[in-house]
Amino acid sequence: MPKITIDNREIECRKGISVLQAALEAGWNIPHYCAHPGLRVVASCRLCLMEMRMPDPKTQEPTWSPKLVPACQTPVRDGQVVRFDSDRVRQNVKRCMEFFLLDHPLDCPVCDQAGECHLQDYSYRFGEAESRMVDEKLEKPKKDIGPRTLLYSDRCVLCTRCIRFTQEISGTHELCLVNRGTRNEIDVFPGKPLDNPLQGNVVDICPVGSLIDKDFLFKRRVWELESASSICPGCARGCFIRVDHCDGTVYRLKPRYNPKVNDWWICDEGRFGWKYVHDDKRITAPVLHRGHEKTTPKWEELPEILRYRFEEQMRKNGPDKVVAMLSPFMACEEAWLLIKFIREVAPQAALAMGPVSEDGENQHFPVGASGDAVRFTILKEKCPNRRGIELLIGAAGGKTLSFEEFVEKSAAGDFSAGWVVGGYPAEWVDKAAGKIAPKFELLVVQDIFPNALTDAATIILPSCAWVEREGSFVNSTGLIQPFERAISPPEGVKRDGQYLYEIAGLDGLYRAGRVRELMNATIEEFAAVFEAPPMPAHAH
Amino acid sequence: MAWKVVDRNEAIVEAEGPALLSDAVREKIRSFFDRYETKRAALLPALHIVQDTLGHIPHQGMMEIAGLLEIHPSDVIDTVSFYTHFWTHPKGKKIITVCRSVSCEVMGGEAVLNEFKKQLGIGEHETTPDGKYSLVTEECLANCDHAPCVLINEKRHEGVKPENVAAILADPNNDRVTMERSTLFDAPGDSKARDSAQ
Ligand code: SF4
Ligand code: FES
Ligand code: FES
Repeated sequence: MPKITIDNREIECRKGISVLQAALEAGWNIPHYCAHPGLRVVASCRLCLMEMRMPDPKTQEPTWSPKLVPACQTPVRDGQVVRFDSDRVRQNVKRCMEFFLLDHPLDCPVCDQAGECHLQDYSYRFGEAESRMVDEKLEKPKKDIGPRTLLYSDRCVLCTRCIRFTQEISGTHELCLVNRGTRNEIDVFPGKPLDNPLQGNVVDICPVGSLIDKDFLFKRRVWELESASSICPGCARGCFIRVDHCDGTVYRLKPRYNPKVNDWWICDEGRFGWKYVHDDKRITAPVLHRGHEKTTPKWEELPEILRYRFEEQMRKNGPDKVVAMLSPFMACEEAWLLIKFIREVAPQAALAMGPVSEDGENQHFPVGASGDAVRFTILKEKCPNRRGIELLIGAAGGKTLSFEEFVEKSAAGDFSAGWVVGGYPAEWVDKAAGKIAPKFELLVVQDIFPNALTDAATIILPSCAWVEREGSFVNSTGLIQPFERAISPPEGVKRDGQYLYEIAGLDGLYRAGRVRELMNATIEEFAAVFEAPPMPAHAH
Repeated sequence: MAWKVVDRNEAIVEAEGPALLSDAVREKIRSFFDRYETKRAALLPALHIVQDTLGHIPHQGMMEIAGLLEIHPSDVIDTVSFYTHFWTHPKGKKIITVCRSVSCEVMGGEAVLNEFKKQLGIGEHETTPDGKYSLVTEECLANCDHAPCVLINEKRHEGVKPENVAAILADPNNDRVTMERSTLFDAPGDSKARDSAQ
């Protein structure tokens, strides 16, 4: 590992990175706009310039270079000596900031980016309170550049991150730089808007308030938001995300860095796929059907009712008439608890896998890329935890069924008692599955939205959306990835993990980590979950 | 929305109907492909050829160039808008370019510009109603030793004074280039015939 000296402090750094990256990773707060570790280096914003020691061309004596050099474009070399803590470097940033603010409308009070804007942050550190500009400001227009995104040209610092994203990551090339010099603007070709499955990322990487997400526009000031670390349930890839929420409502999802899965990006499908969480058609209370009578049992009574009902079925119809269908939308911990309960009351119970939703084909980016050139993938398997559920069903052993077998056998009357878990964001009960309910004497359906099965269930248990739960999903490559809960479930709803914990006979609070410890006793895979290295504090 | 937003979802369509670029123009653009490693590199020749053929490069033309070069139209408009040489809307038959850089400015360039404005009755970046002339200013024309300098199409007029302007405008050959010129990027066809037709 190369050793370099920054501001008289020697640090060890990773090979092949830039001095900027090394400094950020070691905790320096170096201003930068154009540099992004996921994109090609252009060294155009000139904010990261530093002083560097170099051998004098005549005497070979190491001396400070006469010119400042961009840290983002200088690879680390063993023995290198650089400094940011100098008047020349500070003067440079100051002058750059003056230029960046020359035509800026200073509209922070109405700007969505305010509070997470690097123009604000760097102005605060390096800017002047007064502008020396005597000429009229150039006014650049706001542009509707696509169905989901607005461009405020007058706030742009022309770092070209957004353009490089569409060239190098999405490969869709919609964005370009028109005109020249002070009249430079980001633009699209008229009639060819920014509209690709990854477009939302340009809003994330824009260091200022120029690219704005229409969906979040004017919804909340960002400092009111709280964040939870989560995993996107949109496809089996399991991208790392952050859920930004406030007052029990989700406002937006943002990518979280994960070098093994999604790097710095997420797709639009995942980014905007959370709206169902706040749908008012959700099931919000447990329901017990007694003949034609419908009651709402107390949550505290449920563990006993359920255990009694299943045991009753065992006595009546024999040990092999019980089945549980698990959903690929369940967390591993929840599935494990349900399996624990079912196999305790009915050791011969069959375990079935819920339907694995698919849509279209896998999509690779940049568009048209294959093999090593692929930078981002959206999978056609539209559920987060098929592998996790398969792993748990496999580890539990005994009788296992596919979804088709489950429907077929249920329709044939092979089972008298069943527990079915849904939790899919969209309708999942197909025609055949909708008809199995009358074959059961006891049917527990745990789901988020009403459907043909919940309509006919003996007991309905409301399910929570993933942002209301905690646990882990196993992604398509086998990584066990944990997610935190962000918000509370709707009034009257208990978290799946919590009631399954109680139903499985465990006391106290459900904590995913605690359940994983229990799981680890028999399933070694759950000894540890995958956590990505954090982004350096001052990187963006 | 309450404020003014330029809508970029709508296409700008200058002319309905069939392709703007003729087979001959396409062929000429394709003839540049061999010279470079990528088709994209033929963008500048393509823009010159199209502008020489149509007088300017409309959005439809940019789309067709993008199709030929297998690039996104945004890459074409990026380059077109960078160079003041390329026009995205119709211009006059002849372009009068008055230099506004330092040498010409101190030698009286502005007076020359004003005289052109007066005699043509148009301002900067405007075209006469008969479509004969467009008037623009440009940075240094690399002819400082003969400032103030004016170009009419590719023809250089040196040491121009306001009192010369009438004579220059009266000369039907004021854009005739006498020295050898390259026809590399000209519209396909016989460029001599084109000249004498003017
Ligand atoms: S819009 Fe944002 S990301 Fe794009 S060039 Fe401007 S400042 Fe950079
Ligand atoms: S020049 Fe280095 S970050 Fe922009
Ligand atoms: S300044 Fe006019 S030609 Fe150079």
